[in-house]
Amino acid sequence: MKQKLSRSLFLIPALALLSIFVVYPVVNTLYLSFLSPEGKFVFLSNYADLLTRREIINPRGFARGFAFGALPHNLLWTLIHLPLTVFFGLLLAVILRHVKGGVIIKSVIFLGMVTPMIIGGVLLRFIFDGRAGIVPVVLSIFNVAPRTLTAHPDTALIALILGSVWIWAGFSMVLYSAGLETIPKELYEAAQIDGATPRHIFFKITIPMLKPITTVVVTMTLLWNLRIFDIVYAATMGGPGGATNVLALQMFFYAFRRLEFNSAAVVATILMLLAMVAATPMIRSAWRESR
Amino acid sequence: MNRKTAATLLIHIIAWAIALIWIVPFLGVFMAAIRPMVEIIRGWWHVDPFTPTWRNFIGAWNHATAPLAEGMLNSFRVAIPATIVPILVAAIAAYGFSRFRFPLKNYLFITIVILMTIPQQMVVIPIFRIMKDIGLLDTHFGLILVHTAWGIPWILFFMRNFFTTLPIAVEEAARIDGASDFTIFFQIVLPMSIPALISAVVLQFMWVWNDFFLALILIFSPDKLLATQRIPLLRGLFHVDWGVLAGGTILVMLVPIIIFVLLQRYYIKGMIGWTSK
Amino acid sequence: MFKRLLTLTLLIVLVSGVALFAVEDRLVIAVPWAGAELEAFLPVLQAFTDETGIEVTPITLRFEDLAVFLPAQFAAGITVADVIFMWSWFIEEKARAGHVLAITEVIDPADLLVGALDPVTIDNQLYGIAYTGKVKPGFWYRLSFFEKHGLTVPGTWEEFVALLEEIAQIPGIVAPIASGNGVGWPLSDIAEHFLIAFGGPELFKALVAGEIAWTDPTVEAIFADKLVPLLKAGHFGEPTEWTMAKELWWGGDYGLYFMGSWITGMVEDPENLGLFTLPGTEGMVFAIDYAFIPIYTERPAAAKKLISFLATRGQVIQVGKGGHLATYINVPLEAYPPVDARVAELLVGMVVLPDLDDTIGGAFQLAFWDQLKLLWVAPEMLPEVLGILEELAP
Repeated sequence: MKQKLSRSLFLIPALALLSIFVVYPVVNTLYLSFLSPEGKFVFLSNYADLLTRREIINPRGFARGFAFGALPHNLLWTLIHLPLTVFFGLLLAVILRHVKGGVIIKSVIFLGMVTPMIIGGVLLRFIFDGRAGIVPVVLSIFNVAPRTLTAHPDTALIALILGSVWIWAGFSMVLYSAGLETIPKELYEAAQIDGATPRHIFFKITIPMLKPITTVVVTMTLLWNLRIFDIVYAATMGGPGGATNVLALQMFFYAFRRLEFNSAAVVATILMLLAMVAATPMIRSAWRESR
Repeated sequence: MNRKTAATLLIHIIAWAIALIWIVPFLGVFMAAIRPMVEIIRGWWHVDPFTPTWRNFIGAWNHATAPLAEGMLNSFRVAIPATIVPILVAAIAAYGFSRFRFPLKNYLFITIVILMTIPQQMVVIPIFRIMKDIGLLDTHFGLILVHTAWGIPWILFFMRNFFTTLPIAVEEAARIDGASDFTIFFQIVLPMSIPALISAVVLQFMWVWNDFFLALILIFSPDKLLATQRIPLLRGLFHVDWGVLAGGTILVMLVPIIIFVLLQRYYIKGMIGWTSK
Repeated sequence: MFKRLLTLTLLIVLVSGVALFAVEDRLVIAVPWAGAELEAFLPVLQAFTDETGIEVTPITLRFEDLAVFLPAQFAAGITVADVIFMWSWFIEEKARAGHVLAITEVIDPADLLVGALDPVTIDNQLYGIAYTGKVKPGFWYRLSFFEKHGLTVPGTWEEFVALLEEIAQIPGIVAPIASGNGVGWPLSDIAEHFLIAFGGPELFKALVAGEIAWTDPTVEAIFADKLVPLLKAGHFGEPTEWTMAKELWWGGDYGLYFMGSWITGMVEDPENLGLFTLPGTEGMVFAIDYAFIPIYTERPAAAKKLISFLATRGQVIQVGKGGHLATYINVPLEAYPPVDARVAELLVGMVVLPDLDDTIGGAFQLAFWDQLKLLWVAPEMLPEVLGILEELAP
């Protein structure tokens, strides 16, 4: 009995803090998303209302060009950012093993991960500036008229997405580097004896052996894509004309600029549901492992 | 043989070219920070004239609306307790999860894993209201509490993974000698966990230092703003001085970069150990 | 032990007592000015302290930032300052929500310009004061630049367009007109000037009041026939951070720059400044700085003294420092420095108008800024832009 009491003391502080500041707020936000501003229970009608709002989904945008709305922007972000970071991370992890000074290069690439994201946004705004930024100047070599890429609706979102690859690629690179270390050398040696080509080795041994790492990289990158906030806040504030608006930013505008807490709760809940879908493989593997 | 040399050379060129691309944005902001605004207005790569100056750093440090001196101090005052407290609380709980049997343990654990995936947007409105009700809105203590709770799931997950790798024999020997659970944890397990704890400290500190969203919502008095919150304010109302902004960003990112350079090994181990096992 | 406790208690009482005593007569005022502009405001506060013995500490807070955290502070029942300068729409909105102290009994509306207090008056109760203001008169140019290239001030719209085409031909010119960009307001000032010039003061007032739609043919024509062709022809430069745009314009990248009267204090040589409005303009935006007292102040009596001082005698000192025009009607003309006399001259015969987006505010203001940034780089989006503005307009 005494032991039980003392052992529960190990868990109580953590569980109490989690209950008050994480679990209760999640439940409360979910509940808020079902209420009208007057506090009446309206269940899903807030969702129906939100999903037809122009700042969330803008059907006209698909015909005319940006803005498409925050939800499609998040999806587009994922669609471009995820394959690029996975590819870059793997490529860098593989080639840097054989490069002199690879450790230094890795540290340099990882700097983006270490930098506060709000500063990442400032840096992106800066490098895309039509006059003081380097990207438009480099592009002008290819006969592209220099302009501030983040100020034009047709390029603003793409610029931020590509810039976020620069920020986040270090993450997948580091994980893949660690993953490569865990592949037993004997496997490679055996394959070489059997006369396998390097390409064959890469696709038949390296890639399958890295599968658990890929799951983690993909999950964490998806979660990161859904949470994008600081970068947009600092670089464009969602503009011009809402062309770079994302869900997390729209949630902030609803909650703390327009004081529409119920709309904000709906956006937050949508974000959470998307995050849970993204994290299913990770949760499932943790579940299997804990049993 | 010759073909192999050429391939090696190509790989080196690609690798260093990528490194160059990756460093250029930092180089740009650095050049903007150490030079007067008139020199960088048409691009920092024009190096004639080149007049190095401290003015931008001093300008950001003593900024009229958002002095970074105060902001960095505030950030330390939040980040240090918001690193130590959750690590202590979560490590104790993680030990419980790795060693004790109790009802619903697996369900509790999986709940905590799920909590790791929840976006901050999902909690800020109720947290704002709770903080208002208990009078901790716009206080550093309130922010520390939230960071503490927010850090617990991943630290718990990470430390539990670590504890399961520790040999249990030592602990059992101590238990036979009559040591209590707490004695075993604090005197035997914790000292053995120092490398893992350092990893957790590095990661948690950086996350709190780099956080912008939670601070933006919970802290709003000008003198209490954290360093990251002051970055967007550095633009000023009547002078958008890119130099001062650049100087400020360098100052704020210097802290995580120094920690990363000094404790890189622990940082990367933490990153890997937290996301996978 | 007991002794220690007693000492500690005494110490606490003492410290808190001193703290209370110290804050008794010390006000905090939030102002949007920093640097030289703040320097020019300090003598006003000094005069107030000399007169009343109440110390005042100014802190610099931009309106955009106040808009983010003041709602949160008010929700929590606290305030950053005892007196706060802010947009009139914000003051009105917060007054309706019960966050603003009524100051009807300390201000005599007859002391101030007719209509100046309207935006902060609700049901005959006054919730804020009009301090000084600034005009946003038109296009500035360098006299030396016009002289060198033989350019003249246009007298008609056709001459204005011809002037832009002439400037565009000058070597080294990136675009005839610099587009200043901040959080969004410099572009909104240009749009307002076009609306006043071609729609007249009455149309402008109707837009502010929400009595005419943004999609109305007369409004749309102003954009479609006047502003959009200039944008499409590339006569406006790309939106650039406005202080940077000022440097570039002064350095010769642009010929003209639309900016408020405070530009006179920002250029190296104000004597080299010329100014013209769009031909036929009958009104001018006079953007007044408004201030209010949140009900959460702990020193309402002292704050009221300060605000009534600012509404009246304080303005005499302020205008003497340059760049400001008074709303207090008893400010003698001799109080103005010569530079501002030129600005005041411009106002003669003009209808004085409020700042459009500062008066409407809220979600409209944010959208107005953001949509204009869009229009500037994608003028063909005009119908969408006006549609969104109409949706959010009062």
